[in-house]
Amino acid sequence: MKETLLSIPTPFGDAITLCKNSWEGSKSKGNVLSIVSGLHGDQVNGIYISSLLTRFMDRVASGQEPDYKLKGRVQIFPIVNVPAAQSGSPLWSFDDLDFDLAFPGNDKGEAAERIARALFTHTSDSTHGVILKTADPLYEDAVHIQLADPDRPIRKMAESLGFAVARKLSDSTTFKLSLFGHWRENDFPCLMISAGKPKALDRALCDSIFTGLVNLMVQTGVLTTSKTKKEVEKLQVYPLNAEHAVMSSHAGLFLAEVEVGGFLQKGQKLGEMISIATGETLEEYSASVDGYLVSLRHYPVMFEKEMIATVLSDKKKGFWPF
Amino acid sequence: MQGGESGLKTHKIISSENPLGGAIELIRQTFTSVRDKPVKRISFVAGLHGDELEGVYLCHLLIATLRQLKATRPQAFQGEVHVYPAVNPEALGSGTRLWPFFSMDMNRKMGEKTDPSLPAEFARSLVEDLQISSDIVVDFHASNLHLKELPQIRIIEEFDKKLIPLAALCNMNVVWVHPSAPVFESTLGYNLNRKKIPTLVVETGICLRIHQEYCEQIFQGMIHLLRQTGVLDLVDPLPKIKQPLLIHPKQVALVQAGHAGLFIGNAALGAHVQKGETLGTIVDALKGEVLETVTFPADGVLFTLREQPVTYQGAPLARIALKEIR
Ligand SMILES: [Zn+2]
Repeated sequence: MKETLLSIPTPFGDAITLCKNSWEGSKSKGNVLSIVSGLHGDQVNGIYISSLLTRFMDRVASGQEPDYKLKGRVQIFPIVNVPAAQSGSPLWSFDDLDFDLAFPGNDKGEAAERIARALFTHTSDSTHGVILKTADPLYEDAVHIQLADPDRPIRKMAESLGFAVARKLSDSTTFKLSLFGHWRENDFPCLMISAGKPKALDRALCDSIFTGLVNLMVQTGVLTTSKTKKEVEKLQVYPLNAEHAVMSSHAGLFLAEVEVGGFLQKGQKLGEMISIATGETLEEYSASVDGYLVSLRHYPVMFEKEMIATVLSDKKKGFWPF
Repeated sequence: MQGGESGLKTHKIISSENPLGGAIELIRQTFTSVRDKPVKRISFVAGLHGDELEGVYLCHLLIATLRQLKATRPQAFQGEVHVYPAVNPEALGSGTRLWPFFSMDMNRKMGEKTDPSLPAEFARSLVEDLQISSDIVVDFHASNLHLKELPQIRIIEEFDKKLIPLAALCNMNVVWVHPSAPVFESTLGYNLNRKKIPTLVVETGICLRIHQEYCEQIFQGMIHLLRQTGVLDLVDPLPKIKQPLLIHPKQVALVQAGHAGLFIGNAALGAHVQKGETLGTIVDALKGEVLETVTFPADGVLFTLREQPVTYQGAPLARIALKEIR
């Protein structure tokens, strides 16, 4: 079912809407998976994955995917920050507000607060939640899972996706204002998947996340399948102290020599900073530890004291004892 | 650090090389005390939001006046004064609330321990420096693009005991005590107050403009604060200052737009308004229709007024400090 949950008139042109696509199975009660994308208007990978999932769920519901049966309820919110998406930017310039700091929202407030409230209300009774995102502006992320605390149900969910890496989120003063922070307070298993960079579509990456999410639907019980379970990659959950940031001590143009998603060896070159004025090399950067390159600067113009890369340490002692 | 004959010492708190040459610098200007142990140390901060210029101008007025005082009456400086006139220089230079290169709000990065971004790094350095150098902090803000504010100080309830007496010294029209909310936890004011450094958050005027009358009023308030706290010791008689309206949440009425359209205001900021009087209209410019005539819901003082006419349903149009608690 395609529903418009909220429609806010605008002074000029079309209303701002919040839309939901949902599918109801035979045992929906107590089994609801919510998937949200487009919290920031330029994170198109998530928006595309939602469209792949919508097409797939329509086929499941109409019997065109004979290997899958719908049991629970799946609800997808493909673009929740419509005004920002319409302006092709992470934030809506009318209020300069980071929409993911607008939760739990206010149904009597301004446009962004109303959308946030409606979205939170419509997802707060979920039994499982997934938020799709990309790296922050200027960075590219290897596909990875972000979670607040990997207790058993969350870990099971995360493992079903078949990705190699999960990170525990760092404490942030703004966590309580985010959708994810409020989901955590509501105490249902939830995670975020970050992949790629803003303003760019990586179809191959999205296809692999789509496959992972179908597995997650099976794991959480909203779908059943007659297919045999495939072996998935073993998940490593990295705690905060496993994160190693590589910082710039010069400003200039950063030229990367590696790609996100690979394992690096200590001392392996990441790239170099060159002077915009002279072209000379100002600084070379290398990994300070053996580890997984989860995030890398993608926009080359850089200031001093900025983060170039995040490497997740591959040391055994860095892992959580599960 | 640089000292000068101006009596002003310039400290660079943090800097970051710019890829195109030069550097972004966070600067503190210090007027030292004649005492080895200053009576009190007061810091003024402006420009956290780069489109809020009232505070930057206030810092100019303060620096100019204190320089002259340092030259003519150096003994007046019993305490120490620090001025941080432009703490988000990139945003100030481009006239935007957010640090433009990162689209980040520096006043949502305070207290962040692990965020590796440059705005968070600058925020950490600013908090650390203020913590070392200040007994009292004043953080100047103007309103956003949408609303114009009467000179006021906003206080989070949990800090009211310490802050209300200080706020009363500042020549404000309004001192508004409001409950805490998670959104404040990443701000400078909240973080310093939590660290037991009394911090007054001033809101005045509107962004991208300088309201000289309000600035002059607040400037007098700041000089009054410096004198009453013993930082400045002057013999001249103390000027008379305003008794602010002290308001609590139940004494604030918010008027919101019921329609999307253009808000055409019909009231003056600071006016004593009466229930039923017209605040303005919301019109549909495409059809030439009046969608709504907005009236005041109660008697009171109009201390916030919408300036940006484009409104969505729910947008704030005005706030009134109520004569009577409802
Ligand atoms: Zn501000």
